[in-house]
Amino acid sequence: MNRTKLIRAVPALLTCLAVLLVVACGNVGGTDSSSGGSSGPTITVGSKDFTEQFILGSMYAQALDANGFNGVAKLNLGSEQIADKALQNGQIDLYPEYTGTALVSILPYKGAYPETPEATYQAAKNLYSKRNPADTMLTPASFADTYGIFVRKPVAEDKNLKTLTDLAEASPDLILVSFSQFQNRSDGFPNMKKNYPAIDFKEIKIVNSLGLRYQGVAQGGGDVGVGFTTEAQLSSPDLVVMKDTKNIFPQYYPAPVVRSDVLKKYPKIKGILNEVTASLDLKTMRELNGKVDLDQEDPEDVAKEYLEKKGIID
Amino acid sequence: MSNAGLLLLQDVLEEPKLIDWEWLKENFWEDIVPALQGHIFLSVISVAVALVIALPVGVLSARYRKAYPPVTFVTGVLYSIPSLALFAILISIPGVEIGPSPVIIALVAYSLLILIRNTVAGLDSVPPETIDAARGMGLTDRQILLRVELPLALPIIVAGVRIATVTIIGIATIGAYINGGGLGALIFDGIDRQFPTEIIAGAVLATALAIIADLLLLGLERYLRPWARVRRT
Amino acid sequence: MFSKIFEVFARPDFPEKLREHVMLSLAALLVAIAIAMPVALLIRNTRLGAAIAINIGNVGRAVPSLAILALALPLFGIGFGSALVALTALAIPPILINASTGLREVNKDIIDAARGMGLSGGEILARIQLPIAAPVIFAGIRTSAVQTVASATLATFIGGGGLGDLIVEGYSRSGPEILLAGALAVAILAIITEIGFGALERAFTPKGLKIAQKRGS
Repeated sequence: MNRTKLIRAVPALLTCLAVLLVVACGNVGGTDSSSGGSSGPTITVGSKDFTEQFILGSMYAQALDANGFNGVAKLNLGSEQIADKALQNGQIDLYPEYTGTALVSILPYKGAYPETPEATYQAAKNLYSKRNPADTMLTPASFADTYGIFVRKPVAEDKNLKTLTDLAEASPDLILVSFSQFQNRSDGFPNMKKNYPAIDFKEIKIVNSLGLRYQGVAQGGGDVGVGFTTEAQLSSPDLVVMKDTKNIFPQYYPAPVVRSDVLKKYPKIKGILNEVTASLDLKTMRELNGKVDLDQEDPEDVAKEYLEKKGIID
Repeated sequence: MSNAGLLLLQDVLEEPKLIDWEWLKENFWEDIVPALQGHIFLSVISVAVALVIALPVGVLSARYRKAYPPVTFVTGVLYSIPSLALFAILISIPGVEIGPSPVIIALVAYSLLILIRNTVAGLDSVPPETIDAARGMGLTDRQILLRVELPLALPIIVAGVRIATVTIIGIATIGAYINGGGLGALIFDGIDRQFPTEIIAGAVLATALAIIADLLLLGLERYLRPWARVRRT
Repeated sequence: MFSKIFEVFARPDFPEKLREHVMLSLAALLVAIAIAMPVALLIRNTRLGAAIAINIGNVGRAVPSLAILALALPLFGIGFGSALVALTALAIPPILINASTGLREVNKDIIDAARGMGLSGGEILARIQLPIAAPVIFAGIRTSAVQTVASATLATFIGGGGLGDLIVEGYSRSGPEILLAGALAVAILAIITEIGFGALERAFTPKGLKIAQKRGS
């Protein structure tokens, strides 16, 4: 009796499952994946998990797409560790990295941070080329994207805080809003503490969503936050960015990292990517970041608009 | 530009518009549908794979009772590992691709406990007299399993599938953190952009999916369980 | 590897995160009980009330934990308090469902007999309904507790603190020992919670019921 029902039910169940799978297979995997739709060899461009990365990744993918390749963007992979993993196991062919970040977090670099941007780039490029599989770090952009530690204006004015040294001294009365990666990566908070030993914040709150760093300070009862210097929010009149007089951070210059075997196969990529990188400057990057963060535009659209304006795509 | 900067911090103090219907209309096919598709994919594949593993293991555990406690222990331990952690751990294993695969592996691992437990309970619920009768009719052990025990155990097994499915649909949202796709992508993006509409879209769709799955499977469970069937007047 | 994991436990910020996690879970559970139990008690004798409570509970169970935590953001902002509200909301359904069902499933004959003996509504509740429903109610609390400990890992995304911070840190920095330490800590917490509340459940099951359970009735 149950057997008859079972015999009837099974084909119905299987049909349901099949239908569901057909429906679902329309799009599998990360939704931040967009295909260029052009013909030509497919080049997959990854990105890390914050706005500037979404824009740069989109730009590289779209530029490739308009110049003889099928540029596919796989944005928002995660931290540099995850993006690097995807790069090394071939899931992506390139992604936008920063010279300093690569040295600190990915490559087996030891010793003090190189003093100049050029030295940083050369050190990173060299170490990347020694990896297996080897990578090539292309020419960096002309501007840096480093950490901008900011303080809420009322607090900064009240305690007359202008530099990180001032901040360190005032820190026992202040609350820092940070995120786990900054707190524990060697170039982040540990670096600050080493160089400004007076640092001893009253409280450190961790908010692990990168998009909430500014809100976390404004709303979360925080006084001090961690920004990136190319972010538009840092120009807000409600914040004061602390000057890093001791230059404690490495040089973080944006530069795409490409698998060397991919580059060798398609040497044309180099010129296309370099053109995009070279076209950018600090002011422009801030504006573009602002369009996404403040005006809530889509990174892909912002990238497209920019590339069209620059004539890199039409 | 400085205007926008001023607005940012002031914005935070204003009431956020909870549902932006414009955005929903604009991004329906671009963002929402792919997320839903991805989520259905993750859930269906995970339940299917989990069943393929759990049914044989459950049958064997019911037969060889000594194996049951270790099986329960292992699947129980897997179940108690927080989902975020299990996803992240799987990614750190070299060779695991970034995408839906680690999410599916984890979801399967989570549902094994309930599926195996219910398979065993279902088989246990078959009256020994029925099995004896079947044996008396000359059926082999294998025939008894397939034609008598499993069909009778089905309602309880399906009850387990129900719970597993709802659990999987819920946990799959977290899979978006490791790039697994699904409705969680909308939620995480909504968090990052401070955009409640996206969060609500992801939350509502995931809940609806879970409820629909639950109701459908409940219907199946009732259909298979004659003594619980509601009489139609 | 194992020594590295223990190094993480020895970190100065570990006890803090552990404490945050436990506080979040415990507080959420207690408030959830404080909300769900009175509701279950109030509706114990009305069919409609019970049906509504159970349906709300079922819908509540179907909502993904991540979604509730994320929704707390625009409503309550960032931080411990916000995460607490979300986790409390998540902890209510299992308790509500089990308490409502448990109280209603007490055999009507027993209640009639008690009324016949002259017991008031309140006495029936205290001496009959609650003791009989106790195992089911505690099972619900146990489920809720374990679920809450697990969901509290997600509080990291809205600045609620807890062991989730370690998991995110390990993930974003490829520090498997940090990741495993966080995972291990939460898993152990969950297992302790499961066992602990299981023992509570047994402690609160009236002797008569235990005997009946053993007999399989």
